[in-house]
Formats: sequence, structure tokens, C-alpha cells
Amino acid sequence: MSLLEVRDLVKEFPLRGGIFNLTQNKVQAVSGVSFDVEAGQTHGLVGESGCGKSTVARTILRLHKATSGSVFLDGRDLLALSGRELREARADLQIIFQDPFASLNPRMTVRDIVGEPLIIHKRASGDELRTRVDELLDQVGLDTGFANRYPHQFSGGQRQRIGIARALALDPKLIVCDEPVSALDVSIQAQVINLLKDIQKERGLAFLFIAHDLAVVRHISDVVSVMYLGRIVETGPIHEIYDNAQHPYTQALLSAVPEPDPQTERTRKRLVLTGDVPDPIDPPSGCRFRTRCWKATELCANETPPLVDPGIGHAVACHYPEPLAVAVEVAARSGEVAVRDPFAMGS
Amino acid sequence: MNPRFDPDLLLMEVNGLTVEFDTPDGTVHAVTDVSYRLHRGETLAILGESGSGKSVSVQAIMGLVPSPPGRIAAGSVMFQGLDLVSASRTEVNKLLGSEIAMIFQDPLSSLNPVFPVGWQIGEALRVKDGLSRADARARAVDLMDRVHIPNARKRVRDYPHEFSGGMRQRAMIAMALAQDPKVLIADEPTTALDVTVQAQIMDLLDEIQRESKMGLILITHDLGVVASVADSVLVMYGGRIIERASADDFYAKPAHPYSQGLLASVPRLLSDMGRLQPIDGAPPSLIHLPPGCSFGPRCPHVAQECLTDRPHLVEVPTRPGLAACKRMGKF
Ligand SMILES: Nc1ncnc2c1ncn2[C@@H]1O[C@H](COP(=O)(O)OP(=O)(O)OP(=O)(O)O)[C@@H](O)[C@H]1O
Ligand SMILES: Nc1ncnc2c1ncn2[C@@H]1O[C@H](COP(=O)(O)OP(=O)(O)O)[C@@H](O)[C@H]1O
Ligand code: SF4
Ligand SMILES: [Mg+2]
Ligand SMILES: [Mg+2]
Repeated sequence: MSLLEVRDLVKEFPLRGGIFNLTQNKVQAVSGVSFDVEAGQTHGLVGESGCGKSTVARTILRLHKATSGSVFLDGRDLLALSGRELREARADLQIIFQDPFASLNPRMTVRDIVGEPLIIHKRASGDELRTRVDELLDQVGLDTGFANRYPHQFSGGQRQRIGIARALALDPKLIVCDEPVSALDVSIQAQVINLLKDIQKERGLAFLFIAHDLAVVRHISDVVSVMYLGRIVETGPIHEIYDNAQHPYTQALLSAVPEPDPQTERTRKRLVLTGDVPDPIDPPSGCRFRTRCWKATELCANETPPLVDPGIGHAVACHYPEPLAVAVEVAARSGEVAVRDPFAMGS
Repeated sequence: MNPRFDPDLLLMEVNGLTVEFDTPDGTVHAVTDVSYRLHRGETLAILGESGSGKSVSVQAIMGLVPSPPGRIAAGSVMFQGLDLVSASRTEVNKLLGSEIAMIFQDPLSSLNPVFPVGWQIGEALRVKDGLSRADARARAVDLMDRVHIPNARKRVRDYPHEFSGGMRQRAMIAMALAQDPKVLIADEPTTALDVTVQAQIMDLLDEIQRESKMGLILITHDLGVVASVADSVLVMYGGRIIERASADDFYAKPAHPYSQGLLASVPRLLSDMGRLQPIDGAPPSLIHLPPGCSFGPRCPHVAQECLTDRPHLVEVPTRPGLAACKRMGKF
């Protein structure tokens, strides 16, 4: 049994149509997502804006009501709990948001922000509370002398540390991190990434780490799942995905990320997708990537490819999985996807 | 070397540019003594973290520094024999838009929500070139085609909210290209976009630049984007340029401790990095800049002399380029 088991999670947002609009439109934000997070490990969730990452996170945390599916934390179905059981389970599951400013109450001091969960869950009070908060601040590298200041008196990186200290207060088993470093400058981002890794080692914590920066995810995760339009299209151990991606979307996504090295950039082949991501109100039938895929056939329109391991060591949801080198050739021949070969451009 | 880059053809020369803002907390030294040259066909990247003065440094070129509270305290921007800083508003306005154009991170804020995108692209041409309504629309369709907006003939009537983020940025680029500018300034043009769309937009800029040989000033904080397109790099820290080099030299041998720190702190896509090496501390306040090197308080190589004397840009001893560090060659 894994620490977190998400099964067939579906989240649809109903849209109010006009009076004469009889067909009830809905945003199919998450359409049958299943994955596990192991204790003490980091599961990265990547994909482009609007693919459903935050919705997965918020539904797991019951900030949204799931349309269907289940979420087991330590064997208990979170979506079925209520009352005291839910409150208890929630202590094991915390979240850190992208924008530490928006998520911290501006009228509370840092001491109150970090101590609040301990008070609500009646875990500490008085002197013990004081000590616990000091320990937490210390652990995230904040000067305890600043405990009586307010969030706006801190920089972005420091505010993210405050958010982390608060998330750690109840000693959770899993922290959902929704783009925790995306708003930070690179030099500060590295500080926070290192902090998260250190805390994980010390406490044996698990992370569900959501980000759109694929290099950051590679660095922090053990396992990664790639989402496209509400579904996971490929999942596996970090090296499997980064070194042997077989889904055309994963391949295009990885090839679009520029590496901070001009030599590499001059010699790398790049698959440049055309068009935009379709509207999640009316996603394509079958494989949702098919409208932008250079390999799409009738089968892709008719049958949703299951997320299974075709004998390569990780699971991929594509009718025609193949290694990058082959994919690049096929894409070049198809002419539908620009294979940008920097050498061919005469530079 | 990039064949479109012609180092003998100087387009623009920025000299000693200094911009300050008066705020209730004190004077913000947003940009101090910034100098560089831009050549035909060159892609010059201005790299730096947020608040380092990147945007203000180009707002000063475009006459976009709000005044008050801002003021250009010193410096010049020479373009076609004219100093854009001291020239009259009318002289400058003639150049802006036609010879020097700019695109921004958030195209929505520069597109008018109540007019069709195509109309907005054509409008500048109607005013400046006196084109008829029909001709302006035809030109707008051509320009939208050129930036690969699919179905341009039909989409010319669409409103900004009917475009995706990537399409809006294409529309902004079309608008900037309407007058065939010699210099395009792009302030974080892909920061708000997804990485696959970013790749499309960077390809588009590259394609246009190869056709038109325009000079491109690209502001970004993304070390990957710079590596993939830039010929030259300026690194800003605390409102000043702290390193200036060709992109190849910069990445192969970053000279300034801050540049070295940046490159060591960014995770890579194609390789495992082990533990990241962050730069300790945080960037300086531009109101209370330290008297010596503005990177001194965070620098692993700091010495006494760094804290009292401000380092100037000097030749890097081991390769071409300039860096502002007192201790180069000593660490
Ligand atoms: N409360 C809501 N009501 C209606 N639609 C919603 C709501 N929240 C999210 N959506 C839609 O669900 C889809 C998934 O959104 P989500 O925020 O999960 O994406 P994401 O992957 O986190 O994107 P980003 O990278 O931009 O944060 C999008 O189409 C979004 O517009
Ligand atoms: N209108 C303004 N009034 C006061 N300060 C400003 C104004 N515009 C910019 N600044 C300040 O100038 C500095 C540089 O800003 P900016 O050039 O926007 O940074 P970057 O683009 O590198 O993120 C910052 O300290 C910013 O707060
Ligand atoms: S001048 Fe001194 S403090 Fe500044 S970067 Fe060089 S070594 Fe560091
Ligand atoms: Mg999100
Ligand atoms: Mg800026």
C-alpha cells in the first residue's frame, strides 16, 4: 500500500449556459487520474497551464468536491470521511501554494501564522507553543527574532519559508506543493528547493510536487507524471521519463525547454508543436493529444489509449509509443511538426 | 557566430544611463550607469532577477519612465544620430513605433479589449502611412500571416479575449512589425507562456530577425532562453551591469561571482546536478545600496576592498568581455 493512492479521479466544473442552452456544458478539468505517492518520496506532476494539476491537488485536499474517484491516504478514503475523522486525516496532509503572499494572512504575525494549526488542532499552547514555533522557524532557516513581524515585511523567498513552517507544524506525512518555487528568482528558488529536500530527508515526508518547470521537477522528484488536458499521458521513475520518454507530448514538452548552455542548444533537435491546447469544455475524442500529434490515426480518434507499460519500464498512454530518435524522424517526415535543427539554420 | 549578426553596423548606443525614482522611502536607484551597444541582427539579452532594473533600463529608451516619480538622471541613448534622452518629444515619437518597437510580457495590457485585433494592427498604419481602411486591413492580414496566426483572414475581426496567450503575443509582435522597425525590444515576451508556446514564439522572433536583420534586445530572467537565442549577454544586479560578454563566453566561463552563482543554482533538464548551490541572502534594496560592490554581502569571495570601493566594469583577464569585480583572477 502506498501512502497516497489516487484512483480514477474526475473533476468537472459545471458551466451555467443561457436559458435556451439545453446542453449542460462543463469543464472537464480532471478526467480519470490515478497515481501513487510513496512515503518519503516526491511525486512530480507536470504539464502546461490549464491541464488540471492544481485541480488534482485541490480535489485531493477536498478544497473542491470530486465528481468521482477515490483518494486513499494511509488506506483511508479521504473523499468519504467527514467530521472528526476528516479533521484528523487533514493534519497528515498539508499544502504549500505558489504565491506565499496571497496564502498568508497579512494581519497575523509570523508567530501566529505558524502556530495557528497547532492551536486549532490543540497540539500545543503557552510556552510549549512558543518553543514549537521557534523550532519550526529555525528549521526553515528563519530568524526567530523576526517572529513578531508581518508577512509583508518579508521577501518572496522568506514568505515561502513561512508557508513551509506552517505546513510542517502538524508533522504531516504528505505535503502537496503547488508551484512552490515558481514565483521565486533562481538564486532564491535553489534555497527553497534545498530546504524542501533537507526537510524531506529529516522527517521522511512525502511531497506531491506540482510545477511547470521541468528542470526543477527532475531535480526534486523520484517519480513524475505528465498531464495533458486532464489526463496523465506518461508516468514513471524520473530517469525513465527524462531519458526515455515515449509519449509524443512528453517528447515535445521536454524538447521545448531550453537548456542553459549554448553548445547544447546548438546541437539539440527540437520538436515544435503547432496550434493550441484544445478547450477542456469540448476535449477531442479518444487520445486528447491527437489534434496536435503527428502520428494520429483513426484509432487515436476512436479509442482512448490506456496508461499502461508497453514493456519499456514505465507507463505511457499512446497507441504508438516510440523512442525520441524515431519520433523525431517520423515527425520530420510528417511535416506537421517542425523539427527545429539548429544546424540546418546555418548558425 | 550567428550570420545575421553584423558587429560592424552599430544600431544603438546606450551610454551611462541612470534612472531614479523618488519614493516616500527614499530614492530608488533603479538603473545606474548602464552602457552597451546594439548592432544590426544582434540579439542582446539583458539577464537579471526581478527588481534588478531590466525593465526600467529599456523603459528609459522608449520614453516610458513615468515622471514623476521617475527621472533619467544621466546618460544618453544614441539612435540614428539622435539622443533619445535629450531630444524633443515629437522627434522621439517619430522614431518610436516605426524604428524602435517594443513588446511586453502581458500582451493583454497593451491590446485594447474593445477593438478587433486586426483593426489595432492596422490602426498604426492608417495613422502613420495614411492607408485606407481596406488597405490597412489587408496589411493586417499579411502581418498576422507573417506571425503565423492561423486563419488570419477570418481572425482579423476577432477581439483580444478570443485569442489564446500565445496568439496574443503573436498579435503584439505583428503590431510591432507593422512599421518594420530596426530595433525590437522584448521585455520578458514569453515569461507568461507555456514552454511549448515559448518555443514557438522564440522561433518566430528568430525567423523574423533573420529576414529583417533587426536588432533585438531581449529581457529575461531565463538562463535557458538566453542560451538558446542570444549573441551577447548583459547581466544586471542592483541596477548595474555586472558582466557583459558574448553568450558563448558567458556560459563557458562566467566571470563575476554573481554570474557563477546563478549558473550553479539553476537546475538542468538534461543532467543531474546533485545538490544545488544557492546564492545565500537576497538582492540589495535599491534604496539602500551598499557603498562597495552591491553583490558583496552575498559574495563567497568578498574581501575588505569590496565593501568600501565600488568595482567598475573591467576586462576579464581570461577571456573577452567585461565584469565588475575587484577580485577577478584571485579566486
Ligand atoms: N473553479 C473553477 N471553475 C471552472 N473551471 C475551472 C475552475 N478551476 C479550474 N478550472 C478549469 O479547469 C482546468 C484545469 O485548471 P487547473 O487550475 O487545475 O490547471 P493547472 O494545471 O493547475 O494550470 P496552471 O499551470 O495554470 O496552474 C482549466 O481549464 C481551468 O480553467
Ligand atoms: N514607477 C516606479 N516607481 C518607483 N519605483 C519603481 C517604478 N518602476 C520601477 N521601480 C523600481 O525600480 C527597480 C527596477 O525595476 P524593474 O526595472 O522593473 O526591474 P526588473 O524588470 O529587472 O524586474 C525596482 O526596485 C522597482 O521597484
Ligand atoms: S567585487 Fe568582491 S564582493 Fe563584489 S563580486 Fe567581486 S569578489 Fe565579490
Ligand atoms: Mg495551477
Ligand atoms: Mg521587469
